Order: sequence, then C-alpha cells, then structure tokens
Amino acid sequence: MIGIMGKVSAVWFAAILASMPLYVSMGLAALAVLWFAGMPVTILPQKMAGAANSFPIVAAPLFILMGNILAAAKITDRIVTFASAAIGWMRGGYAHASILTSMIFAGMVGSAVADAAGSGAIEVRAMTKAGYKPETAASITAAAATIGPIIPPSLPMVIYGITADVSIGRLFMAGIIPGILMGLSLMVMVLAIADREGMAGKPFAGWRTLARSFRDCFFAIMTPVVILGGMFSGYFTPTEAAAVACLYALFLGFVVYRTLEVRQLGPILVETAETTGLVLVLVMAAAALGWCLSISRVPQTLTPLILATIGSPIAFMLIANAVMLLVGCFMEALAAMLILIPILVPAAVKYGIDPVQFGVVMVLNLILGTIHPPIGVVLFVVTRIANISFEVMSRAILPWLVPLLAVLLAISVWPPLTLWLPHLIMGR
Amino acid sequence: MRRLVRIFDAALHVVAAALVAVLLAVVTAGIVSRGFNRPLAFTDELAGYVMVWLACFGWMIATRRGAHIRVLHFADLTPRRIRPVLDVALSSAGVLFGILVAWTAVHQVRVNSDVEAIALPIATAWLYVPLIPAGIVTALQAFADLLLAARRTQPGGSETSP
Repeated sequence: MIGIMGKVSAVWFAAILASMPLYVSMGLAALAVLWFAGMPVTILPQKMAGAANSFPIVAAPLFILMGNILAAAKITDRIVTFASAAIGWMRGGYAHASILTSMIFAGMVGSAVADAAGSGAIEVRAMTKAGYKPETAASITAAAATIGPIIPPSLPMVIYGITADVSIGRLFMAGIIPGILMGLSLMVMVLAIADREGMAGKPFAGWRTLARSFRDCFFAIMTPVVILGGMFSGYFTPTEAAAVACLYALFLGFVVYRTLEVRQLGPILVETAETTGLVLVLVMAAAALGWCLSISRVPQTLTPLILATIGSPIAFMLIANAVMLLVGCFMEALAAMLILIPILVPAAVKYGIDPVQFGVVMVLNLILGTIHPPIGVVLFVVTRIANISFEVMSRAILPWLVPLLAVLLAISVWPPLTLWLPHLIMGR
Repeated sequence: MRRLVRIFDAALHVVAAALVAVLLAVVTAGIVSRGFNRPLAFTDELAGYVMVWLACFGWMIATRRGAHIRVLHFADLTPRRIRPVLDVALSSAGVLFGILVAWTAVHQVRVNSDVEAIALPIATAWLYVPLIPAGIVTALQAFADLLLAARRTQPGGSETSP
C-alpha cells in the first residue's frame, strides 16, 4: 500500500509543478490510490463532503464574510487616522502608523492579502507623500500585512485547527503574542533605519485629535474584543463568534458608520462564496487524500523515520521551519498547509512539541512565503498599489524579512511565547 | 450559447449568495435559540449541510472564473511550444476529475437516499447532491479549456477564445 502511495505521490508532485489546479491534483491522487489499492472510488465524494460537513469549518466562510463586510464599509480609513495620531509623531512615524494599522486590522480580517489590499493603498500613499521611497513604503506595508493571519481571527488557523484536530480557540490565543512581537520587531527595524532612509514622522496632532480619532474607530477596534470575548467567556463557540462578528460588522457598516449600502451586499456575498469555494475545495480534496495517506500508513512510516534521523525537538523544529519556508516560497499557504500537516504534525507531537505552538509556527512560516519571491501574492498586491516593478519590490522586501524571521525563530525555540496565553486563559 | 452561460453564471451567483446568507442565519438562530433557553436541535447539522452546498457552489464560481489555486512558477519556465501540450494534458485531467466526482457522487446519492439525517427530516443523500453539478461544471469548463488548448497546439493556432 505504501508503495502505491509513493508512486502516486511522485506523479502528484509532478502534476502540481506542471500547474494542475491543486484540488484536481489532490483529488486525482486520492482516486488513483483508491483504484490501485482495489478500493471503491465512490469513497471520494464521501470523504470530500464529510470534510465540509463540519460545524467548526463553518467559521471559515463567516470570518471571510466579516472581512469582506468591513473592507466594503471602508473602516480602514478611520483606523489609519487613529494610528497616525497615536504614533505618527515618532521617528519614521508614517511607517509606525502603517504597522499599527495592520496590527489593528489583523483583529478584523484573517488574511495577509485582505490586510494588504484593505489598508495598503492608504498606507503606501501616506508614506510616499511624506517622502518615503515607494519601495520602502511598499515593503513596510507588505511585511506588516503578514500580521493579519497571526493575530486572531485567522483563516489559516481555522483550517489548521480543523485539519490537525487542534482547538481553534487555543490557536487564536496562541497567535496574539507572536502577532504583537511581529509588529514590535518591524517598529524596531523602522527606528533603526529611519534616519538613514530619511523616514520622517509628523508633528503630534494633540490629545484632542487623538481622542477624536480613537472615538471614531472605537467600535471597529472592538471587533476582536467581540470575537475573543464571546469565545473565552463561554458564550460562543469559534463558529458562533464568527457569526456574531459578521452581524457586528453589518451593524458597524449600516448603523454606526453608515458607510455600507444594501446594493453592496450582493457582491460581498458572492465574493465570500467564491473565496469559500477556493479554500473548501482544497480542504475537501486534501481530506480525501489525507484519508488515503492514513490508510496507507504513511504518517506511521514517516514519523519513526524522521524520529530516527533527527535527534532533538529543536533540530526537528529548525528543519521543519526550513522545509516550510521553502515550500511557502513556491506554494499558496493554505494548500501547502494541507499537504504538510499530515506529514509534519504527527512527527512534531512525537517530539513533544505542542500542536498549538507548531500550528502558529507553521502559519507564520507559510505566510512569510506571501511576501517572498517568486510566488509572493502580497508582494504582487502592494507592487500594484505602489506602482513599482516586482524586481525592485523583491529586493526591497528582503531586509524586512529579518525581524519577522527573528520572531519565527523565537516562537520556534521558546514555547511560552505561543503557549503561555492559551494556558493562562483556557488551562492546560 | 454565450447568453446561456451568462444566465447560468448569474444563477450560480444568486444561489451562492443565498447560501452564505442562510448559513449566517442558521448559526445565528442557534445562538439566539440557546439564549432563550429553547435550543434548536437541528441548527448545527443544518449548518453542516449548507456548508457543503456553499463549498460546492463557491467551487463552481471559482471554476468559472478560473480562480483555483495552482503553482504557476515552474510551468511558466517551460518553453512556449511545450506549453499548449501541457495545457491539453492538464485540461484532460480536469475533465476526468470532474466526470469521476459527478459519477461517484451520483452513486452516493443513490445509496444514501433512504438514510435519514440525525436531527433533520431529510436524507443524507442531500450532502452529496451538490457534488454532482460541481463535478459537471468542472468537467465542462476543463473541456472548454481543452478545446482552446488543442487549438493552440495546431500550427498558427489562435491564442484567444473564439
């Protein structure tokens, strides 16, 4: 059986590299394993539908919907104004404001692309207007956008939680400190290069302006409080919290800020359905292939092999990081996650690594691929916003990877950075 | 034909948008009913069923828009004259996958048509029903792509859709 799986995997990887849609390649690989193993191929729809027929996964489309509603309601402008008034006066103030905006926005949207697309245009415009080089402004925006899927809510964490059978609530909690560290590390980087790069700040606008801008975006900033507060007070499950967050986003758009119109709802819903389809069909096909992997005893065969080859948990973590970073460079984050989870998570657990910590490490690794050439979807987004070439952007982003890689290293080798908060709030 | 496709796309969007709204309504109903101490037993199960339908309709929209995730980096490096041949092979695989999904889903619908869901008064076959149109749309779209790619393999073949 493992021989069949090995041969099928070789063809499957070739198909992926040949640009076959990932869900088709996974589905056909699952069908091939079933066929050659003499099992009924009618198992395929059973496993596919079974993967989507789960209450926890309902959180995914609802978080996507919430992000789309908030983006359409143009709430970003208010957050940018507040962030600018709060820390725009520092050295490199516009860059700090951009990073703070991304950190706040991360509590409302669960993806790096949504973060870059939602707040990128305003941030890049403000920085270039203040005399920043366009590629520096774009790099800061792209690097800060990676905080989006780390600070909850997070779509990749929902998918990881479901696929690896890990508590989504714990994953959300575990992402908070690394997300804040990512923001702080980028701010330290800005402080370090601000003078050399001529990155200006702007004069402090005064306490009254700060208070007014805070009041203007107060309800928007409360979104993560609604999500996490509801979840951890025991009122809602993560899925229900996502539904409440959608209703809250509608309330903000229609009642509080009145920036949303009824005619916008149709495109928002269709956009949500499309993104859900993109993500879920991958999850469904990966579930079928994952089942084939498990009946072929691939994880059971690979895990002892990994344990015998790699001596310590730290060495495993560092090698896993290198593998995930490499894969993240060439493959979309969610797809890479679905392929790597059945191989790496069982081994990580055997090494005594908490799957919650490993989940945050995996998400951060693969998200870094979105700001790294050659795939780098976030790079493409900000390149278009800043109107610069992809080559220039690819070079300019490299220094900004350093602070993010430092955070990645820190959360990889020191578990309390990810596990302390979930243990504190939800117990061990 | 093009008009038919436009009508189909519009219908797809309407159904998909409705499914997102229904999903939100079902989960909200579960929270509200629990808040009033009259929990509805069927909301979690119904949400799961709606989720499968939404996933399949979203899958169809993404297929129609050619938005599915793929790794293009290495394929972009292949020589220009090999690319159409590669596209023919990939589209053929898409046709095969779509047909197999639809066919196996029909089988699942048939064998589950008399198995009742736990909290809902419906057959579990409804879980597999949306996989049939999803498979058919995947196969048809891949077939259209196949025709286009086959045309490009001919000497002086057109690069664009007729």
